[in-house]
Amino acid sequence: MKENAKVQGSARKKKTILSEIWSARYLYLLLLPFLAWLIVFHYVPMGDIVMAFKDYKARLGIFGSPWVGLKHFERIFVTPDAIESIKNTLSISAGRIIWEFPLPIVLAIMITEMPGTKVKKVYQTIFTFPHFLSWIVVSSIMTSLFSSTGVVNTAIAGFGMEKIQFLGNPKFFRVMLYVTENWKEVGWGAIIYMAAIAGIDPTLYEAASIDGATRLRQIWHITLSCLKPTIAIMFILKIGGIMNAGFDQIFNMRNAVVKASSQILDTYVYDITFLATPNYGFSTAVGLFKAVINFILLTIANQTVGLLTGTKMFSFRREKVKQEKPVKAKAE
Amino acid sequence: MANVKVNKKRKKWSGLEIFCTVCLTLLALAIALPFWNTIVISFTTNSAYVKHPFSLWPKEFTLDNYRNLFRNGAGLLVAYKNTIFVTLIGTLSAMATMVMAAYVFSREFPGKRFFFLASIFTMYFGGGLIPMYLLIKNMHLLNTHAAIILMSLASVYNIIIMKNGFEGVPMDLQEAAMIDGANDLKIFAQVMLPLQKPLIATFSLFTAVGLWNNWYWPMLILNKSEKTLLQLFLKTIIDSASSMSESLSTSEDLTTMIFTMGIQMASVLLVILPIMTVYPFLQKYFVKGMLVGSVKM
Repeated sequence: MKENAKVQGSARKKKTILSEIWSARYLYLLLLPFLAWLIVFHYVPMGDIVMAFKDYKARLGIFGSPWVGLKHFERIFVTPDAIESIKNTLSISAGRIIWEFPLPIVLAIMITEMPGTKVKKVYQTIFTFPHFLSWIVVSSIMTSLFSSTGVVNTAIAGFGMEKIQFLGNPKFFRVMLYVTENWKEVGWGAIIYMAAIAGIDPTLYEAASIDGATRLRQIWHITLSCLKPTIAIMFILKIGGIMNAGFDQIFNMRNAVVKASSQILDTYVYDITFLATPNYGFSTAVGLFKAVINFILLTIANQTVGLLTGTKMFSFRREKVKQEKPVKAKAE
Repeated sequence: MANVKVNKKRKKWSGLEIFCTVCLTLLALAIALPFWNTIVISFTTNSAYVKHPFSLWPKEFTLDNYRNLFRNGAGLLVAYKNTIFVTLIGTLSAMATMVMAAYVFSREFPGKRFFFLASIFTMYFGGGLIPMYLLIKNMHLLNTHAAIILMSLASVYNIIIMKNGFEGVPMDLQEAAMIDGANDLKIFAQVMLPLQKPLIATFSLFTAVGLWNNWYWPMLILNKSEKTLLQLFLKTIIDSASSMSESLSTSEDLTTMIFTMGIQMASVLLVILPIMTVYPFLQKYFVKGMLVGSVKM
């Protein structure tokens, strides 16, 4: 910052704000495409959020439509489908935190502990690959494996057991959501932790082994405790996304049988907007409700984790607007 | 098995190492085998599949699934062509927009804080589905590829990461150029851009993969078959195939029946083929990109 000011101020010591703006004219020019995009594709639609407080009539336009106050929001809490989708969203997200959040950490530790550099590289390529496929692709592959005529069920039948409707039974479908998400993302999620582990001072391990600590104890006391800040930040992000329970996955994997039990807020908004006569005001209100809760949760989680571990992802104070990178946070 | 062999060579393998190797080998198989299974099914006949849904090699090798896929009309080729177009143009324009913005945010200028916060705010809060849909509709961009390209023109997240990359370049370089009388445009294009080539390459990869896999907004916006993209095409094949197999499930003659699973897997394979072929070679760049910028949200 200071160096920059020095450069710009080298010609004249005192500058008016106008001359500062003029001297930065090329910077504004470079920023222009992005700013235009930001305004058109983010801030203009954000203005349309007023729809959530209006009875939208296409004929009257957004601004001509009458105000209805919080009517749409009140409707969320008296619509059984909406309540059900909120409950499903929360329980699926909770399930994800239990069954998905810890696995990349475990995987990262296991990869670090595994001997053989070349094999490790091959494995890592395999582990991270599914991350780059869309849920349409992954769900097709999973359906081919787990449908009633698929590989898994044929194997089960081969062992003389009864076939399982993995994707056609609400109870198993939940489990399949966790299994397939892990299959797709666990390897990619582990990378961040592996980088953090690679940044741990090796003398810590040396000292511990001189003291007679077993490898398992070292993992527990050194690796895991050094991973704490990274885990904290990943956790904040996870909490901040609790109202998104994985639209892409559920949308592509669901079927008529499991539709009700896997209806999350995002799929609910999709269904009421595109599969029924849309009520734009209500749909927008549901979306806004979701975004606000996410934002509040993110803030609470950030503050709580900050208090507990001393690592925050962002701070509202002026000097720390920049987001801390987990890797960097680790190194400090 | 493999580890037992190695075990003899290297006298000392701790229990933990064996445990990790076994677990990771199983995981690698669990991730790799479904892909292999996909390839095998796509080259298998229906009757062979019914007998052996999982085999390591097609029992009755056939290209019929691919023939049937292409016989369904030019759909696949159109989708391929469109996707390549959108990915190419989309990546170029998005990278241009993002690199320029990232560079600007690495510098000091009046209003920087305001613009930066305004950008970050959109990461956490947005209008949502309907306002965005109405916007596209009001701009008369329904059923255009331009809508898809414009919507993915920038990612605030990527900009922040690239900004950090630009900030890593010592300021002396820019100062020297300024003393030589270069303006900001020149410094950006001739000093900073060449230094950031690896970062730009990495994010181009991410952007390209994102566009290749893009399906949600295309599904809402592109309803005409001549505008379809690969992911949408695949979704149509999957959806139509599942309804087709329902209506055909009464048919007894397995040999004449169209093997829907085979067609599905053939189309899956064609959709992921480009990523699958380049990924092993580019994996390290993807990982690097992930680490420069920590997490993808």
